[in-house]
Amino acid sequence: MSSSVDAVALSFERSWGRLVAGLIAWCGDWDLAEECAQEAFAAAVTAWERDGVPAAPVAWLTTVARNRARDRMRRRTNEAAKVALAHADASDEVAPVDDEDIPDERLRLIFTCCHPALPMPARVALTLRTLCGLTPAEIARAFLVTEPAMEKRLVRARAKIAHAGIPYRVPPPELWGERVEGVLAVLYLMFNEGYAASSGDSLLRVDVSREAIRLTRSLVELLPGEPEVRALLALMLLTDARRPARVRDGHVVPLEEQDRSLWDLDRITEGARLLDADPPWGPYAVQARIALCHDVATRPEDTDWPAIAELYTLLPATPVVELNRAVAVSQVLGPKAALELVLPLADDLSGYYLHAATLADLYARLGRTSEAADALATAIEQAPTGAERRLLRARRESLLHG
Amino acid sequence: MKYLMLHTLDESAHPDITEIATPPHLEAELDAWIKEMLARGIVLDGARLRPVADATSVRVVDGEAVVTDGPFAETKEQIAGYDVIDCPDLDSAVAVAAAHPTTQIGSIEVRAFDDGMPDPEVPEHPADGKLRYLMLVCADMRRSVAERGGAEAVADAEPEDDGEDDIDRWIADAGARRLYGWPLGSPDRAVTVRRVDGRTVTTDGPFAETKEQVAGYDLLECDDLDDALEVASGHPVAGGGVIELRPLWR
Repeated sequence: MSSSVDAVALSFERSWGRLVAGLIAWCGDWDLAEECAQEAFAAAVTAWERDGVPAAPVAWLTTVARNRARDRMRRRTNEAAKVALAHADASDEVAPVDDEDIPDERLRLIFTCCHPALPMPARVALTLRTLCGLTPAEIARAFLVTEPAMEKRLVRARAKIAHAGIPYRVPPPELWGERVEGVLAVLYLMFNEGYAASSGDSLLRVDVSREAIRLTRSLVELLPGEPEVRALLALMLLTDARRPARVRDGHVVPLEEQDRSLWDLDRITEGARLLDADPPWGPYAVQARIALCHDVATRPEDTDWPAIAELYTLLPATPVVELNRAVAVSQVLGPKAALELVLPLADDLSGYYLHAATLADLYARLGRTSEAADALATAIEQAPTGAERRLLRARRESLLHG
Repeated sequence: MKYLMLHTLDESAHPDITEIATPPHLEAELDAWIKEMLARGIVLDGARLRPVADATSVRVVDGEAVVTDGPFAETKEQIAGYDVIDCPDLDSAVAVAAAHPTTQIGSIEVRAFDDGMPDPEVPEHPADGKLRYLMLVCADMRRSVAERGGAEAVADAEPEDDGEDDIDRWIADAGARRLYGWPLGSPDRAVTVRRVDGRTVTTDGPFAETKEQVAGYDLLECDDLDDALEVASGHPVAGGGVIELRPLWR
């Protein structure tokens, strides 16, 4: 592979989102912006090979993409194209020379992609497409839907942005808090989807959690005043650090059985550094601190369970949070105390496999084997992936015959 | 008397409806209806709505606006357009609705407005760069009826007295972003009109049995969806009910 191809690949990874965001700001047409960004990168492959890599790649790509967009708008004759052209020409007296001439519009783009009026799956898909540059085929594979279905999801989302008038802007102060929260929720969902999928059966799938980390990293730069953005990045890094040890031979390895020497020390160090030492902590900061408690324990028995149980009380007491707190409590006060916390959650968490799995674990530790086996059977039925089912089945086997 | 015609249809049975404003085979008939009803001074305002995929709902929970994708209720048939008509009585309003082509592919819910509604005056096109939204104010009207002492008491009762000030304040805050609006009479008095095998069939009650019903509506003209959401979430009903925003077909 030649160095100019590498340079294009690197530029794509670094600048796709910025290029598309700038083009949308310039012409107001999402489809056109994406198409022309794609073509600009394609043109770069030959031009950079021939003429060398330009000193200001973003400016180069922007100029090429704008020229293509202008050509297309002129060829189209409908009203929308005329409006877009007028919009574009008005903001386009000088061609950009330096990369600094191109304002970074990614914030506007991400707030629009994550607007609460869009369905959640569309927010995730749109973010991966326009900010990360994943193709519809790649996103479709990552979420196990067909490519036409993913195309349709993206088309519908862009149509809603246009027709419902979802603004392309950074939200004003009165909406700031909730909209930032909304963006973080999309990024965290993206990370978790990718993380959960990283268990076998998925070699061909794009690494969505890597994209989520990359984008959150950019967001830390774009929103330096938001501690929860830093905390979310920390949470992702501190969770992702354990990924190399999470799956062995296609089986999910539970935390206490993981080979901790495989954990990524750089990620742990970076994650820890991102966290504020003092409260008040937001929900992501609290979760990151919990992850850190696990990450710094050299052996499972070194885990600071009292601290973890305490941290869980700082989170809103949802049933899932209570379940996790109970797990910590079981380590501090024993399985009997934890069982008293877990049993009342049965109604709220009746379809959630980790409730049944936790119950099974507590019963087993109390020597109530048949109840443990029943709970494991429920958990196996409810587990979302094959890898998790295999793990639970193995646990049930060893409980009954081990 | 003024009546609201709510056009409803099952979008999934008419996939083309999401791409084009009017099915081609009904276009001529629709034009004729509009022309006639305008000439007779019956239709005062009306518009097609963008498909439900472009709908956004907002409710206020614990003082915070919660925005969600989609319409206020998941029903098979969805609101696709509206007309405000002026007719001497319900029978003539039903006849006007029955003549509309929507009754061939869906149905029309006819709802009386509360008394005293002035004629809406709506410029043909929105101001430059502005977007129009139909704001459907939806509430569990039967529950509020029950709470206030049964249907009889409410049939001729004034709208909640304590709500008046809030509404006035909301109208003042909305300012020029609100073109007009008016509360609707009880959904129990709604009549739904459709055509089956060339015959007009009318049924009692609204087009769908939902927990919340359309209690009133306002036509908004705003900068963008966030602007419209700000207006909608300030509406007093956003607290206990839900507000659906539907962009108009441009």
